Amino acid sequence: MGWFSKTKPMDDQSKPPMRSSRKQCWEARDGYFRCLDNISVVNALDPKHQDAIKKSCQAEETKFDQDCATSWIKYFKEKRVVDHKREKFMQEMESKNAQQIDLSGMIRR
Amino acid sequence: MLARTRFAVVLRRTGQFQRTASRALSGSPCLYNLPTDKNAQQPTSSEGETPKRKPLSRIAIGGTTNHSQRNSGGSIEFATWKMAALLLTLGGTLYYFFAKEKRRLEIEKEAEANRGYGKPLVGGPFKLVDFNGNEFTEENLKGKFSIIYFGFSHCPDICPDELDKLSVWLDKLKQKGIELQPIFITCDPARDPPHVLKEYLSEFHSDLIGLTGDYNAVKHACKQYRVYFSTPPSLKPGQDYLVDHSIFFYLMDPEGQFIDALGRQYDEKTGVEKIQEHVKAFVPKEQREKRKHKWYSFLFN
Repeated sequence: MGWFSKTKPMDDQSKPPMRSSRKQCWEARDGYFRCLDNISVVNALDPKHQDAIKKSCQAEETKFDQDCATSWIKYFKEKRVVDHKREKFMQEMESKNAQQIDLSGMIRR
Repeated sequence: MLARTRFAVVLRRTGQFQRTASRALSGSPCLYNLPTDKNAQQPTSSEGETPKRKPLSRIAIGGTTNHSQRNSGGSIEFATWKMAALLLTLGGTLYYFFAKEKRRLEIEKEAEANRGYGKPLVGGPFKLVDFNGNEFTEENLKGKFSIIYFGFSHCPDICPDELDKLSVWLDKLKQKGIELQPIFITCDPARDPPHVLKEYLSEFHSDLIGLTGDYNAVKHACKQYRVYFSTPPSLKPGQDYLVDHSIFFYLMDPEGQFIDALGRQYDEKTGVEKIQEHVKAFVPKEQREKRKHKWYSFLFN
């Protein structure tokens, strides 16, 4: 991860990331995550999956590392775990016939 | 309204009954020799009570009194459906207006509750610079509705999504004749000086105004809006990092007071509806104060 951090345009702190570079990063992320889905890896930060990722998703990971800012990579990997947990929770609740309650329209008194 | 029209119909019916009933009575004594003089002498007695149906045995055979037992007035039928239609339209219209007004008052109350008493809960004085280098304070919020968002340009996914959503809101509201002043305040002044903000926001809605300042000024502004943000401690210059911050749109009224916070649950459509409701329900402070002393003030409590 650290090899490209000095040369990546996304890591230039003096410029804001623009729409095009964001899009490029998100696409690289989606490609990488799709590959992780194929090998059933949720937490890419977990050391025990490193060998499997290296073996099957090397190209996707390199692209992801190159196209996204270093801080974003960590953030997206962590977010993937959280999103997965939430999805699993929702599925579990649905299988138990739980009903989702929308509290967004509540008026505070 | 309903009661009155019903009453009118009843009156009409009784009137007809009287007429037909008296005709029937005047014909009957010579045939059956019934003690009718009492009734004849007091023709007004039937006015107070509803006329009873006469037993069939008292109807003259071959007499023309048969139809008197029925309300044979075609005009009544006509008046009834006409009245019903009128009632329906009137009732419907009234219901519509009351429902609408009720919703408006609800929204107004919500805004009033958010304004709080005494010191405002959200909002207050701040002093920042906009992306053109001009000073921007809470005074610049006055005279128009504003919507404020806190974020930072190096935000990975949520801020750009939210800003795109805001652009949709702004365009849709503009079509409805509602102009908002959209403001983006950075939580990351170290990396977001005016020129960076300008470049970053140029890709979003053209009305957006970017605000920044020195760390303390930004910290203070965020505190006024109860926005939490944290930059990692001990940063090296040029280091890449993320800023945690709360994500709400703050809707401010033309007096610079807080109306409502819109979270991520509002999508491109519902957000527009919510803002529109608030803008329509807005009542200037002076008017609100004045209204408090009116006899109908209980309506607004």
